[in-house]
Amino acid sequence: MTDINNVLQLADTALDQSLGRLFDLVRIPSISTDPAYKADCRRAGGRIVADLSALGFSASLRDTPGHPMVVAHFAPKGGEGKVPHFLFYGHYDVQPPDPLDKWTTPPFEPEKRIGKDGVVRLYGRGTADDKGQLLTFIEAMRAWITATGTLPVEATILIEGEEESGSPSLIPFLKENKAELSCDAAFVCDTNMWDEKTPAITTRLRGMVKDEITITGPSVDLHSGAYGGPAANPIRILSKLLSKLHDKNGKVTIPGFYEGVSDLPRDVKAQWQKLKFSDKKFLKEVGLSVPAGEKGKGTLEQVWARPTAEVNGIWGGYTGAGTKTVIPSQAHAKLTFRLVGKQKPEKILKAFRAFAKAEVPKDCKIEFAAYGSGSPASEIAETSPLIRKSAQALKDEFGRGTALIGSGGSIPIVRYFKDILGMDSVLIGFGLNDDALHSPNEKYNLSSFHKGIRSWVRILAALAK
Amino acid sequence: MKSLDDVLQGIDGALGDSVARLFELLRFPTVGTDPAYHGACRDAAVWLKRLLQDMGFETRMDETTGQPVIVAEYAPRGLPSHAPRILFYGHYDVQPPDPLDLWESPPFEPQLRKGADGEERIFARGACDDKGQLMTFLEASRAWLKARGGLPFRLTILLEGDEEGDSTHLDRYVAKNRTALKADVAFICDTGMWNAKTPAITTRLRGCIAEEIVISGPTKDLHSGYYGGAARNPIRVLTKILGELHDRNGRVTLKGFYDGVDPVPAATRRQWKALKFPAKKYLAGVGLSIPAGEKGYATYEQIWSRPTAEINGIYAGYTGAGSKTVLPAEAMAKLTFRLVGRQTPAQIRKGLREFIKARLPGDCRVRYKSEGGDSMAVTVAESSPWVRLAQRALKNEWGRDPVLMAEGASIPVVGTFKSLLKIDSLLVGFGLEDDSVHSPNEKYNLTSFRKGIRSWARIIAGLADQQERHKP
Repeated sequence: MTDINNVLQLADTALDQSLGRLFDLVRIPSISTDPAYKADCRRAGGRIVADLSALGFSASLRDTPGHPMVVAHFAPKGGEGKVPHFLFYGHYDVQPPDPLDKWTTPPFEPEKRIGKDGVVRLYGRGTADDKGQLLTFIEAMRAWITATGTLPVEATILIEGEEESGSPSLIPFLKENKAELSCDAAFVCDTNMWDEKTPAITTRLRGMVKDEITITGPSVDLHSGAYGGPAANPIRILSKLLSKLHDKNGKVTIPGFYEGVSDLPRDVKAQWQKLKFSDKKFLKEVGLSVPAGEKGKGTLEQVWARPTAEVNGIWGGYTGAGTKTVIPSQAHAKLTFRLVGKQKPEKILKAFRAFAKAEVPKDCKIEFAAYGSGSPASEIAETSPLIRKSAQALKDEFGRGTALIGSGGSIPIVRYFKDILGMDSVLIGFGLNDDALHSPNEKYNLSSFHKGIRSWVRILAALAK
Repeated sequence: MKSLDDVLQGIDGALGDSVARLFELLRFPTVGTDPAYHGACRDAAVWLKRLLQDMGFETRMDETTGQPVIVAEYAPRGLPSHAPRILFYGHYDVQPPDPLDLWESPPFEPQLRKGADGEERIFARGACDDKGQLMTFLEASRAWLKARGGLPFRLTILLEGDEEGDSTHLDRYVAKNRTALKADVAFICDTGMWNAKTPAITTRLRGCIAEEIVISGPTKDLHSGYYGGAARNPIRVLTKILGELHDRNGRVTLKGFYDGVDPVPAATRRQWKALKFPAKKYLAGVGLSIPAGEKGYATYEQIWSRPTAEINGIYAGYTGAGSKTVLPAEAMAKLTFRLVGRQTPAQIRKGLREFIKARLPGDCRVRYKSEGGDSMAVTVAESSPWVRLAQRALKNEWGRDPVLMAEGASIPVVGTFKSLLKIDSLLVGFGLEDDSVHSPNEKYNLTSFRKGIRSWARIIAGLADQQERHKP
């Protein structure tokens, strides 16, 4: 049995090189939602393949109808069939960086800065989501291989490039490569710690389904003086429609929306209460103070266990400087619905569309453009041995008990792994609430990166037992 | 009453020259809003100054904070003291010609083309708005001067170059030159006919104010997964506010909004009804079929006599290709309000602010940006002697009673004259709905031009007759 301390020490001394590799990866603007960055996505995937190959993985870039997948395997010498086999998942694509003018440093020129609080942070789009996170397990494996020439478990790595755009190629890819990708369980590194000192394993994830609506009124843009009054204004229709999505208690008004949503079990509620989560602080950090969700539910419950209907973007008419007296022909909005419990994405989409159609006058038109088929919510048994082993490894690293938490974000992969490959997922990540994911000035604390690598070194050892 | 044949024959006989002068003016690319064309604006102003000088007016070019204005004075000795003083207004600037590729002939190379219907049309940017229209009055004055030697009134001509841009330039100029511009009435030629055969006098114009509102919530854009539910979404706050701006009957819900909105006098309503406004056609022309304004009002009433609150633009969050699961930090909307009757900009702004304040969550903020160029509604009394005089003159020329029309759009200068010079405006114009004003292939029918000149000659004659009658 190798002394784990050697591996940890190696991870510590190689931190600068690990950081260099992260920065190289962040420099590639692999924005999967924008076709202009198609080549950059491929480049990001290619870099990871090259790195893993150099480590001794049999790695390849696999083409899909969208962005390519990275698949890599490492079988410990003589360990085949004797040690457990796990899949490690991450994604190399990132969110668009807009609005660019809000970034202190350019999003794809990563920078390490020490804050006034003495904390070292790594700034750049993808430093946390998910390039920084996926490198924590890759760098941990590098430390193991460098120190011992092998890994304590058999590993398959799957890094996709379409996570931020709804993973359209993922389901067919998993189906086609079922035998190659099926393992004992999956580890997904795309979640947060409880706080900067307390590690966490996420056991509940909300699902999500997206929609985009376009309302067309007049066939051309109209002069609002000559037509204002009798001509239907699509922005007004859209605003009216969206204003009716929630009642005064913050509940979504779409008929049938809450079908399959159950109340939070009492024991889970009790456990969450122990986390001593401060609603006030959570909101204050982002400049807010009034909980905006369903009345009568705490913030944690609103974010982890309640569904939402949110408008993520809206546009129509003249939006430049000054004024233009126009009644536009069209108005648009992008929406996402976060799902919990047994809510079905296709049912939610159907119910929303019926609701929206009913709000549109007969001489106007409404069109919908969905992005992907959506994903239902996931829950993982908190008693699973994998979770217990991982929780202990994290406790060893951080010196604190591991919180078993929910997450408001959606990681559809968890559901796909279960449904297609028949395996459970363990969600371990080192992000923090203030990482500004999807926002300007995204960052990853250097300690998240460093202790993240060290945590995986420990988890890999624990899993072999 | 003296026969007008000499003047009218002069107009018809010299129509070719009038068209040639209009073409010269149309060749100046006077896009006032584009700095690249400011030289052309000045050239056009100089050309107009010379034109008016040659007609015998005392003329000057005055600088403003925008494009120069041309002022021509006509105050011959020998006019009786009761002779009125008239201020004629027009604008020499034009809209940008884009999109250029949709023009059949270049926008600043005017062409006279005969259509399949036999009607001759002048094609060019500004052919109607407002070069063709303003020239109808100048050419009528020219013909009158030539035939009769002197106009029967004092006249100040004011031609500006910022109408299509920032109207505050002219406002400032008028405010500083109140004495010089003092008059009994303003004549403005920048409006339309009821249809190709029926002349019109516009007696009602809606006012307009513009407001931009920005709602901000979280200090930065948030991930809609990690914060969705608990964190306030400014788009939701904004759409809630905008969604409640009208009740289900299409009435604006701002407090005090309808203060000063008077019912249309019964006589005017009867007149409007008799016009048989083609509501169906009007809406079908833009792909609609259901009048969307206040319930209980006909389509034409919704445009001509009712105020509106319109959203002209909205923007927030992610609007690019694909999707982004974001709760944005702010959401913006641009609104305009069309005003009627005695509604004031201050009243509307106060109502809007109170309305938003009442709907704004405690941890959100709102910023307002009031765009310049407020205008109140204008109503010219239909019993005004100027309207009466123009009615007779137009009927004589067109053989039909002119329609006393309202206009949904605003002509801010009318409000400026009203508030700064304390005078009413007589709005007579010869544009047609299909003139493609502000669009490619703008045109002015030769009939509009010729009969427009003749119409003004008849209005001038009406003023001359009035003086005859008032002779001591």
